[in-house]
Amino acid sequence: MNKANIAGYAGTSWRDWLFAYAPYIGIGIILLIIPAFISTYFQSLLTKVLIFAIFAMSLDLILGYTGLLSLGHAAYLGVAGYTAGLLIARLGLTSFWIVAPAAIVMAGIAAAIIGYISLRVSGVYFLLVTLAFGQLLSVVAVKWRAVTGGTDGLVGIIYPDFGIPGLTLTDTNYYYLVFIAFAVCFFLLYRLINSPFGKALVGIRENESRMRCLGYNTWAHKYIAFIVSGLFAGVAGVLFAPFYGIMVPGHLGLMTSSSVMLMVVIGGAGTLFGPVIGAIVVLLLEHFASIYTPERWPLILGVVFVICVLFIRGGFGFHLSKFWSRLRIRYGNAES
Amino acid sequence: MEMLKVDGLSKRFGGLQALSDVSFNANPGEKLAIIGPNGAGKTTLFHLLGGQLPATTGRIFLQGQDITRMPPRYRLHLGLARSFQLNNLFFNLALIDNMLLALKGAERRHFEMFQPLNARNDLVATAQRLLESIGLWEMRFAPVATLSYGDQRMVEVIFALSSSPKLILLDEPTAGLSTAEANAFADTFRQLLKDREDTSVIFCAHDMDLVFNLADRIMVLYFGQLVAQGTPQEIQTNPKVREIYLGSEGS
Repeated sequence: MNKANIAGYAGTSWRDWLFAYAPYIGIGIILLIIPAFISTYFQSLLTKVLIFAIFAMSLDLILGYTGLLSLGHAAYLGVAGYTAGLLIARLGLTSFWIVAPAAIVMAGIAAAIIGYISLRVSGVYFLLVTLAFGQLLSVVAVKWRAVTGGTDGLVGIIYPDFGIPGLTLTDTNYYYLVFIAFAVCFFLLYRLINSPFGKALVGIRENESRMRCLGYNTWAHKYIAFIVSGLFAGVAGVLFAPFYGIMVPGHLGLMTSSSVMLMVVIGGAGTLFGPVIGAIVVLLLEHFASIYTPERWPLILGVVFVICVLFIRGGFGFHLSKFWSRLRIRYGNAES
Repeated sequence: MEMLKVDGLSKRFGGLQALSDVSFNANPGEKLAIIGPNGAGKTTLFHLLGGQLPATTGRIFLQGQDITRMPPRYRLHLGLARSFQLNNLFFNLALIDNMLLALKGAERRHFEMFQPLNARNDLVATAQRLLESIGLWEMRFAPVATLSYGDQRMVEVIFALSSSPKLILLDEPTAGLSTAEANAFADTFRQLLKDREDTSVIFCAHDMDLVFNLADRIMVLYFGQLVAQGTPQEIQTNPKVREIYLGSEGS
């Protein structure tokens, strides 16, 4: 066994440091300069990928790290998206500094309420209760036409305004906003999963009753993780609504929840960049499938999912990190 | 004051009376062994003391405080730690992460979300001291599942010690170990307790060498009842105990 396999144990040599952080820096630089080289269409696809990457990472915190199988995660994306949409399109409050905090807090409140109830049960019952809440909210969005626009959707969600003179949000600027949000979320989640709290979540996933004997309040840990996860999903929701320009009830419901769960599982639950890879794979597949055979897209996604579960156990992220740690041992002076 | 006072403790599972009216005390620093044949109620008693199962009747006091209905985590913070008969660790996590979780759990402050756990040099140093005492520091990056069974048994014990408890419950610490491993365990355990003279230990075991080697006092459970208690010498010569372990004459 070796040090390189364990997240957060970077060595002291510069090569070890390079191997530990080079992927993050490299990907960061690529994402920073790539808009200059791709069409606006692919830039928009990349924006979507990064929004869903934030969303998938937020789900991974409870699904991969804490071991809570939630099938209602779109609820928090949707609550934040509808909040942002209502403020922007209905009330005309376009200031980013009002819209973003309000929407994220609303997502957190939704997570606090749903989590308080659904964490009373565990396992498959937890899955069903979270699923029910997600569906409940999407039905509310359908029926409450006066506010949400019903099945027609909440339209006219324009880009928020930063209140900085000379800065208007073009599509490219919006990409950079999403990129910064993604980088900040990634950094915060990276710190979170290596913190005592994050390690305790993994301990709860592995052996909850033992954690209780070790002095942990496991319920409070799960509950707080649930709320934090909802807040990050809220960040994705705030970015999601102006990007699509419209919120529809489907964004709150099972389809969105299950596709983000697929991203986490395909990418690798319990790793931080796994959900990012999952978002890339699923959205790129969706993109190409929709060009050639839009009506067969669910079939293709289903086949890919089965193949991933059968042959890529643990997801892309898990195997990529194994491959990377092997490189680290060979070339990076990591202790083995 | 006694470290632990158990008063009329009973546990019933449906029609099975697993423990009936068990009362005893444990003094500070005392090493108390509980012996008895399989099914005598030893593990049930440990689950009641540790808070894994609720008692049907009776009360448990830790240093005078009633802990009968207290969840396990409160008991830990009051100074009661336990190990399990079956290895109960975080098998997929690295040994060092296991130790850091155990050490962090014993602290009062949880929910810290920003500083990395492995940057807590004080906890890492304590983990190093504990792991070195059982000779496993070199293995710290290995997942616990890859350690040998005997090593995992030792990790169970230092898990219990990691909260610097006042009372340790060890449920068959040498279960499944060979005689040589069990003897090595007794030596290591004595070493670990050398600078913790006020720490009381309650352990149960089938291995009589270990029991007579470590215990100051022995209690005998038989079909859920406490049938005898006394010093190792008293227990060795107790006719009732001899009957339980060797069978009555003419049967």
